[in-house]
Amino acid sequence: MALLYDRIAQDVRFVEGLKACLNCGTCTAICPAAEFYNYDPRIIADTVQSKDDNLIEALLRSETIWYCGECMSCKTRCPRGNTPGLIIIALRSLSQDLGMFTDSEKGRQQLAIKRTIGETILRYGYCVHPEILDTDMHPEQGPIWDWEKKNIVEVMKRLGANYKGDGPGILRSIPQEALDELRRIFDVTGGTERYERIEEFSKLKAEEMGLECGQGIDSEYFRYVYKTNNDKHSKE
Amino acid sequence: MNKRVAVIGGGPSGLECAATLRKMGISVILFDREAETGGHLKQWHKLFPDRRSSTEVLHLLRDNHQPDGIEIYSNTLVERIEETGNNFTIYAQENASYMADAVVLATGFDLFNVTRKEEYGYGIYENVITSADLELMFSSPGKLVTHQGVVPRRVGFVHCVGSRDEKAGNLYCSRVCCITAVKQAIEIRQLLPQTQATCFYMDLRMYGRHFEELYNEAQEKWNVSFIRGRLSEAAENQDGSIIVKVEDTLTGRPLKMNVDLLVLMAGMEPSAFTPKIITNQATAYGEDGFMLPPDPLIGSNRSGTAGLFLAGTCTGPKSITETLADARSAALEAADFLKEILR
Amino acid sequence: MNIEGKRLLWQDYQKVIADDNYYYARSCIRQNFFPGSEKTFLRILRDELGKDILDDAAHTSCTGIGYHTDIVPFETTMTVVARQFSLMTEAGYRNFVPSCITSFGLYTEILETWHNFPEVEEKVRQYLRQATGREFEKPFNLVHASDIIYKFRDEIAAKAKYKLVNKLTGEPLKVVEHIGCHYSKMFPHKGIGGAEYPYVLTGMIEAWGGEVIDYPERRHCCGFGFRQYVVQANRGYSLSCSRKKFESMEAYDPDMIITNCPGCPMFLDRWQYALSEMEGKTYGKDGNGIPVFTYEEVAGLVLGYNPWDLGLQVHQVPAELLLDRMGIDYDRSAKFKGLNGKDLGRPKSPSFLKFYKDE
Repeated sequence: MALLYDRIAQDVRFVEGLKACLNCGTCTAICPAAEFYNYDPRIIADTVQSKDDNLIEALLRSETIWYCGECMSCKTRCPRGNTPGLIIIALRSLSQDLGMFTDSEKGRQQLAIKRTIGETILRYGYCVHPEILDTDMHPEQGPIWDWEKKNIVEVMKRLGANYKGDGPGILRSIPQEALDELRRIFDVTGGTERYERIEEFSKLKAEEMGLECGQGIDSEYFRYVYKTNNDKHSKE
Repeated sequence: MNKRVAVIGGGPSGLECAATLRKMGISVILFDREAETGGHLKQWHKLFPDRRSSTEVLHLLRDNHQPDGIEIYSNTLVERIEETGNNFTIYAQENASYMADAVVLATGFDLFNVTRKEEYGYGIYENVITSADLELMFSSPGKLVTHQGVVPRRVGFVHCVGSRDEKAGNLYCSRVCCITAVKQAIEIRQLLPQTQATCFYMDLRMYGRHFEELYNEAQEKWNVSFIRGRLSEAAENQDGSIIVKVEDTLTGRPLKMNVDLLVLMAGMEPSAFTPKIITNQATAYGEDGFMLPPDPLIGSNRSGTAGLFLAGTCTGPKSITETLADARSAALEAADFLKEILR
Repeated sequence: MNIEGKRLLWQDYQKVIADDNYYYARSCIRQNFFPGSEKTFLRILRDELGKDILDDAAHTSCTGIGYHTDIVPFETTMTVVARQFSLMTEAGYRNFVPSCITSFGLYTEILETWHNFPEVEEKVRQYLRQATGREFEKPFNLVHASDIIYKFRDEIAAKAKYKLVNKLTGEPLKVVEHIGCHYSKMFPHKGIGGAEYPYVLTGMIEAWGGEVIDYPERRHCCGFGFRQYVVQANRGYSLSCSRKKFESMEAYDPDMIITNCPGCPMFLDRWQYALSEMEGKTYGKDGNGIPVFTYEEVAGLVLGYNPWDLGLQVHQVPAELLLDRMGIDYDRSAKFKGLNGKDLGRPKSPSFLKFYKDE
């Protein structure tokens, strides 16, 4: 009974991503994640094509599936027309639907992403916005960003933006009607449900770990998943 | 009433088929588009598995095996073959035409154009060459150097270039490249004892007699190393050497390696000429582009058209030994056909 | 290296790029980090080339980053994209031009998925109808903004005030061109020049007088990695990828890097800053970093626009020494000023990268 495999097989990304793998390793050879992490996209393809639910469940609960950077370099080269990156998307999707993502340190980070990128999309209509971006969370943005943020209105004016303004332009205030349509799209297509699941499962995990889950980025659990790295993810 | 067979193509299969027909007392006209017969064999140095000289084999095929009585038309490009009543008309350039009672297609193969495998950089990075280029270098001693003119310290062999590859447009295996790579790796080690040889393979298709033993010899006697991983890309270092990316799938680790020469084992493709010559619908091509006999299992020399026979690599990749056997078999089929029509 | 070999391959990867009448879809990252670039794109298209390009207020993020961080399901993203197409249709346009490479890759993928699985397209149409009452038509022509600048590179060259040339020596500048992974790795035939030797930026560089460098890690991802950057714990991945590229290109002595993706210039710029702080190492001719540009910034420089209009002041790796090398005439002191010369103070200096030569 290959229940998990059957579920993955329904995901159109999976259907596009895996025909049959002959284990040539061309994908792993070119994969940036394979250079940096204990990761091997060939093994992902080989494991899933075995249709072994035990192995697939182990994957869904593992760190492994969260290492891919979705650059799709694998797609260019595979001689069988497979795309491990698409298989990963299908696995990550199922892992979140089933709540298995909270088993792994990397998987737990989905809450951090939902509360930053995810909420910004619905609130502003952009994936990222100066109001929520700072060098506490992103030190690499450096002193230039600190200066920019301090003078955001003036800098944006200087660069020709329409910062938080009406009408078209850079970083305009996206019309409420558009944001409403966006939210309804999320509601109707399962986007809202995905966000809620990420929160629910993360809350359970936070309770288990004795951390306050709260809301937004100012929470114990958020800070924990945002920053924690057990240093066991890379090769020596 | 002397019946005549036209053999299209003067490579190993054409030459052997013609000789066999002649031995049976049948007249042959042979067409070859190049100045000299021999096909690709002319550009090869040594043949697997025992590294027999291809020049020697070529002479055997041309001279010893060829009694008089074969009309050879070299430098002749056959443009079209038509069935005209009970026989065939062969049209060549400048409106020349010839009659025959039966035809054997021995049009052979083309080497895969490796520039289509762009990520390997052939034609861009000078130290990336093909197996065919390497054979020519073997034929000229002193030519076995990199583009910079120095002896390579390490030579890499890339298996399956243009074969088993959806992206290259060829799903099939070209059969003889693995053993050729093993042979060429050994030859490198023999000629340049200080030079390392590494084969990057997906599978080692050592299907023929003495092939597996050659692989064994390559490892034990010549220290050729084998890495099970399909090459993903080749790039050029500042000094002109080539850096390759591959996964050693047996240890599950991606690796980068510098080689001074990268040899691409180019696969076999059906000759581009064949479909231009045969335009009737009865002659079928497989999805792989090679000619497809209606019964490939037991009638491998018969096309869909009575009197038209197939010999050699026009029906798929083969070694020289297989090609010659296939050519003799085609001759027999043609002879049998002629007896039928004589009755 | 034999560049003629590349030229032959480039012939195989040409694509149709619409001539005019574009619907522009802005990029989340570029609006935040490279606002000058999007401004310049519209300026060049409208003022220099006289093109019609619609900047529609009603469009939103395509949710590409949300999709590639796996928090947004594919159905949701497809429907948001469908809404974008609906806005384009409603406004009477057929040529869709995303500013972001992730978007471009995503739109291309989605159209391909709909082509192979028409039932998925039908489902998305239902979703969109249900959520918004909208209908849509698929774009007739879908190209990235860099494809358009590529298409008009000769027109830009004809109006050029400066070239990608070292003014003092007359030598072409050595340029690293970096293509966003989602531009052509997924569908090589949808990228000019294909995936292995992309030509979209090379064409611009050649038209504007520069020389392109090939180096071993040219095709390597810059390391955005979506979740590998967004989450602080993962950023080592992102940094390592960029560093790998810097280490590989260093020996070829580049003057500048040009990219066509929103994320790539940000990472190639910021990680140089981060590496300088972490390791004390800087790259580049003057030891002051290799300046990283978007193609609009380069087009703008070549056309003689004010570098501070282009937004070069918000790069971490300062561009002044390169601007000097190109012989560009600009006011150094105006770098951090607001409109009308308003004084906005100055950023703190980083430890190793000098913002201003004369401090």
